[in-house]
Amino acid sequence: MRRIFSLLGRMRAFVVRDFQLAISYRLAFFLRVLTILIVVTIAYYISRIFVGREGNLFVEWRDPLAAWITGLAVLNYFMTNFSSLANAIRNEQLQGTLESVLMTPISVPGLIVASSTLDFFEATLYSSLYLVFGAFFFGVTYDGSYLLAFMILILTTLVFASLGILSASFAMVFKRGDPIAVLLGTSTAVFSGVFFPPQLLPEGMQNISKILPATYGLEAIRGVLIEDNGLNEARGPIATLLIFLAVLLPISLWVFSRAVRRAKREGSLIQY
Amino acid sequence: MRTSEKLANPSGQPVAIAIRRLTKTYPSPFILASLLGRPPRKPPVQALRDVSFDVHDGEIFGLIGPNGAGKTTLTKIIATLVQPTSGSVTVKGFDSVSEQPALRKLIGLATAEERSFYWRLTLEQNLMFFARLYGMPKSQARARIAELLAQVDLENSAHQRFGQLSTGNKQRMAIARALLNKPPILLLDEPTRSLDPLAAVRMRSFIGSLALGDSPVTVLLTSHNLNEIEELCGRIAIISHGCIRELDTPDRIRTLHKARERVRLVLDGISRESAVRMLAPKLSEVEVSEDGSKTIVTFAREVDDDRLDRGLRAVLENHTRVISCETERASLLEVLEAFEREEAVKGNAKL
Repeated sequence: MRRIFSLLGRMRAFVVRDFQLAISYRLAFFLRVLTILIVVTIAYYISRIFVGREGNLFVEWRDPLAAWITGLAVLNYFMTNFSSLANAIRNEQLQGTLESVLMTPISVPGLIVASSTLDFFEATLYSSLYLVFGAFFFGVTYDGSYLLAFMILILTTLVFASLGILSASFAMVFKRGDPIAVLLGTSTAVFSGVFFPPQLLPEGMQNISKILPATYGLEAIRGVLIEDNGLNEARGPIATLLIFLAVLLPISLWVFSRAVRRAKREGSLIQY
Repeated sequence: MRTSEKLANPSGQPVAIAIRRLTKTYPSPFILASLLGRPPRKPPVQALRDVSFDVHDGEIFGLIGPNGAGKTTLTKIIATLVQPTSGSVTVKGFDSVSEQPALRKLIGLATAEERSFYWRLTLEQNLMFFARLYGMPKSQARARIAELLAQVDLENSAHQRFGQLSTGNKQRMAIARALLNKPPILLLDEPTRSLDPLAAVRMRSFIGSLALGDSPVTVLLTSHNLNEIEELCGRIAIISHGCIRELDTPDRIRTLHKARERVRLVLDGISRESAVRMLAPKLSEVEVSEDGSKTIVTFAREVDDDRLDRGLRAVLENHTRVISCETERASLLEVLEAFEREEAVKGNAKL
């Protein structure tokens, strides 16, 4: 219990620090919000091309704008949280502050979790903005359970966090050129169904979408929000995500502990 | 090496930092090729070899040595930032590998690295962040920050961004942060490196004051500035090629090492040319110059050789008046240089 309070205190320290740093770059916040509004607007006008077309094979894509907005919001959430964990150590290394932070009684895993906290809040805010702008300016509404969708979002985020820890381990040992970030970022955007249904892909490529956790997360969240699916209909993707988590989390924690040990032995933890 | 005889701690003083048979070898960098069983391109680097010594409670202990001698590695191992290959470091009984969190609460590290702060945050915000990482309650942290900023003469800059500070003030901030949780042990890595002479004097005075008072702070000071080390430290260790070569008081190290000293004679009533004619047959490598009506003779000698006797005898036999005779004792720099020469000779002998 004491360790949990201690971690919460440190998370608060990082949230306050990152917030203070963020508000010292006020323009960046407004530009980010404006970018989201522009993206949603573009998605709206592209969706107008499909107005009046009948016989959409894919139920969740009957309203393409709703599908895109959901996809973009969820992709933003996954990727921000993934990269936040992966870059936590690297950001401190680049700033030159890692050594001084590690001189305090904080562990390396504690540092990674705590320094990603504000990114999680930011990702939640920015992802919500996609939905809010869609609803407010373009009349996109969702009938399903927000609570269930949020729970699936958290589950998928945990899977991405495991991959983020693997990526952080890679960055700790090799410093640059993390293949996990490159492969995951590109393949998730292309194959997981953010912009179009993966079923449209050639059969061989559909297999790629099947090994991406985002595919299942997106399918379940869209199903819940757009098609008003319940837990029963979403259990397939949820089960797959749980298997991903059960496999990836222990592996990533083991690899991470090895990477920390290696970096400390090499004395390269604070190098970049 | 005279280190081993110090380990018994004959003074009986409590030990703050105990270093035992410490060795650090940096392995070859991890590259993908190593997964395929290929030999590494860069060989391992042995940074520390069998280093053992104690730092006593409340003392200012100096660590000097040339670049690459192992000073920073040793400091980082004590600070738990690097793991030793073998041997141990304990700080007040806590092991630097197995008891890291407890040990870190006991030490503060201040380096001359300016980038170790958040430049867009104010001094107060920076210190508050680190205070929270130490788990200090907000009110206690505020009081401590105000106290420390006053101590390092930065109380009027509390709301200024760190990036706007001068280099000297940035180094003061590093010391303020190192003292944030009132650690009994302070590791200072070149604390006056970028300071102007006046600021350096003030910083030295501040460091000196840390070891005084009711709860003295133990300081391990690493520096290239040998005058600083001599001025502040009760004991020093000279580290070279990863080994502790000497460990004693600055005075004793100078006398233990057979070094050269410089002799300066100020003569009256003799021209420069006459002085050269008189002394050149008696002393080799003598320098003679004129300063107004005085003639200044300088030459180097091994401690206890007869060059000074021969020089003085020649001067007195010539009925020349000696205004002053000064010898400049071997400096720590000369001791350090002597070690480097010895290492070079050993290296050549091996070849």
